[in-house]
Amino acid sequence: MEKTRPLGFTRRTVLTAAVAGSTGFASAALTSSPPPNGDAVDLVKRLTGKTPTASDRLHLVMPQVFPNGYTVPLTLLIDSPMTESDHVRRVSVLAPRNPLVEVATFHFVPQRSEPRVSTRIRLAEPQYVLAVAEMNDGTLLMTETWVEVATNGCK
Amino acid sequence: MFTPAPRVQVPSAAANGEVFPVKTLISHQMETGLRHDDQGNAIPRKILNKFICRHNDVVVFSVDLHEAIAANPFIEFYLRATESGRLEFVWEEDGGGIYVLEHHLTVA
Repeated sequence: MEKTRPLGFTRRTVLTAAVAGSTGFASAALTSSPPPNGDAVDLVKRLTGKTPTASDRLHLVMPQVFPNGYTVPLTLLIDSPMTESDHVRRVSVLAPRNPLVEVATFHFVPQRSEPRVSTRIRLAEPQYVLAVAEMNDGTLLMTETWVEVATNGCK
Repeated sequence: MFTPAPRVQVPSAAANGEVFPVKTLISHQMETGLRHDDQGNAIPRKILNKFICRHNDVVVFSVDLHEAIAANPFIEFYLRATESGRLEFVWEEDGGGIYVLEHHLTVA
């Protein structure tokens, strides 16, 4: 006879709940994240030649702690109406403590794509991951979020 | 040789002005160029360096991918439905390789 499962606590549901819980925690912590540190601003200045300003219009959602540096989930959300006169041109993700700092650049098109994207990235060590958005008027907005990985994903 | 297999999950129909999700996945090693083989020789870089989504030949979303994108790149993004037509998804690889998927979208 097959085993029955009297309660809904299968390994899958427990793991799903754990992941959902940690993501929720990460996004809750995001709202109270500190302003970008000087190093991050300097790095962006060196790469782009412009000074970014910290902005709460950018949301970089990542787990605060993740066991595996090979495939860390990342979600980016930008508050923008995406009209011709007010939109996000592109957003770059940087991992300053990776051997190669650049991670990805997402290009958006006003009225066609929404400034919202998810992917999976590699991180070499615990670090602040940065997101830098270039708006249609050329200004740079940035945010950062702390991610702690247990294994080096760049080997 | 291993051939990357692209996959896309996207609705076939959408209302005009509706925002819909597009999920893409492609099997690919994303070799960073930082690793060495057993003999200590550097393994050359071979990654997908660009992803482009076109709608009726107009670029509506694109990504520059670097070494830090995880193997088997997954990208989820959101498009606004404006007109019926052909959605084209293109991945460009180091060395000129190219992988393409097409999808027809009907906008009511």
